[in-house]
Amino acid sequence: MNPLDTTFEAAPAPSPEELPDSTDQAAPRLTPARLRVLSLLAFVGLWWLLAHSGKIPPLFLPGPEAVLAKLGVLATVGFMDATLWQHLGASLARILLGLALAVLIGIPLGVLMGRVDVARALLDPLVEAWRPVPPLAYLPLIVIWFGIGELSKVILITLQILAAVLIATAHGVRHVSPERLRAAESLGASRRQLLWHVVLPEALPDIVTGIRIGLGTGWSTLVAAELVAATRGLGFMVQSAAQFLATDVVVLGILVIALVAFALELGLRALQQHLAPWALHKN
Amino acid sequence: MATLATEHVSVSYPGQRLAALADVSLTIGADDLAVAIGPSGCGKTTLLNLLAGFIRPNRGRVLFDGQPVTAPGADRAVVFQHGALLPWLNVRDNVAFGLRLQGVERAARRARADEVLELVDLPQAAGRAIWQLSGGQKQRVGIARALASPSRVLLMDEPFGALDAFTREQMQELLLKVWAQSRRSVFLITHDIDEALFLATRLYLMSPGPGRIVEEVQPGFSQRYRAGESARAIKSDPRFIALREHLLDTLFRLRRQEEAA
Ligand SMILES: Nc1ncnc2c1ncn2[C@@H]1O[C@H](COP(=O)(O)OP(=O)(O)OP(=O)(O)O)[C@@H](O)[C@H]1O
Ligand SMILES: [Mg+2]
Repeated sequence: MNPLDTTFEAAPAPSPEELPDSTDQAAPRLTPARLRVLSLLAFVGLWWLLAHSGKIPPLFLPGPEAVLAKLGVLATVGFMDATLWQHLGASLARILLGLALAVLIGIPLGVLMGRVDVARALLDPLVEAWRPVPPLAYLPLIVIWFGIGELSKVILITLQILAAVLIATAHGVRHVSPERLRAAESLGASRRQLLWHVVLPEALPDIVTGIRIGLGTGWSTLVAAELVAATRGLGFMVQSAAQFLATDVVVLGILVIALVAFALELGLRALQQHLAPWALHKN
Repeated sequence: MATLATEHVSVSYPGQRLAALADVSLTIGADDLAVAIGPSGCGKTTLLNLLAGFIRPNRGRVLFDGQPVTAPGADRAVVFQHGALLPWLNVRDNVAFGLRLQGVERAARRARADEVLELVDLPQAAGRAIWQLSGGQKQRVGIARALASPSRVLLMDEPFGALDAFTREQMQELLLKVWAQSRRSVFLITHDIDEALFLATRLYLMSPGPGRIVEEVQPGFSQRYRAGESARAIKSDPRFIALREHLLDTLFRLRRQEEAA
């Protein structure tokens, strides 16, 4: 269950005529959806209280309303030669480009790994050795090779998402039901038809899961990479704001980063549900 | 006349001491509903995989209309125990799947699918998703898919094994109806002696260690069902019961011999 849609799709409260017993009316008030909203409100409330207790200077913790006010300034005037939207756009462009490249390379390669034993034997040790290395550990090497421009960051993100897509695709393809493959063969399917009509549809939920995981880790990697080397982007914005002690911008940047991660996750879950509704039902 | 036959086939899996099948010969004629029955591990599925072309024998030949079988093909459709349906397609598209692979155009294959769904008593489910079906309905879709394709033989591996007793009886009668109307030969595997006796025109009793045919019977009850007699009357017929006891007797005798050896 994702928090957002349950928040807005809370079960309609039963009308009093339907439920004459008054004790039953109190029960549905604390639905999980409402508890989620309550938790967020409590967090903001606590934040406000702390910020206005007079014990913590605004330099350390600006209040929620100050951060919100800063949003207006950032959206119009901007920070470090770029508006919030331009920073956001720069980060999103990088991750989407990385995603596109990772999907274009990862799915065919993953299918190859899943279907051809030789390809798997050759690629598997490399992928397994490279996957657990934290991307920021090889970022310096990428910077030495490709400079500190856009290219380095896109390569870093692509590699990060690629690992997840590749492994998920290979796994999905390898675990296609042998009975389904045989059923299709006995109906006259060629090798290509097997791939298009059985292997890829069955692996699709796994592939989307791989993309989801890749985007999640890719986003954190990107922001971290922007902290290190960039002239635009959300990570850069937060980093340079910290150097100028603009704490409100730092907090706002963190909130935007969290929101984007959350939106990506929700979007992909919706996509998965739309593309592969059968995956939710045991078969 | 389409006939599917094995001639002295043997199959050994690597690492297995005894052959999964040793010197098995059988002939399934165009009008036959051949049934293989026997204890677990006696090579029934191996035999079906040979007939389907999924595996090749180590010795002997598999022939379809006199031609050697070397690969799976659309002339021999397989029905699996759990259906092996494609959950990303709805019922109608599952049934039409074989025709789609053959390049039959959309309108024609949908019409054919609806026709076959009618035959398996499932016309109302054409637009449903696979995960909305009961086990018995899934099996009907699996059978319909095999029937919609231009296959001439149906190969069925314990098609009703996962169904409850009541649904199982319904499906047996459905199979006899479909077999009569679609003019195809059938090779069916089962663990259920009553089912085997009721359906088979030829019944192959098999035994493990090594996998082989130990007895062939021609019960003839499915012909009586076709002639209009009721399923319950047939299954309580003294001759039916006597034949069942005879087969069980043979199975237990073989088991004792094997244990003694
Ligand atoms: N792929 C395989 N590799 C190795 N041995 C196998 C393989 N498939 C089957 N066997 C062995 O061959 C023998 C026959 O197996 P088979 O599946 O044909 O039996 P079966 O009669 O269908 O059994 P069941 O009624 O349990 O389905 C068994 O001893 C089994 O262990
Ligand atoms: Mg079997």
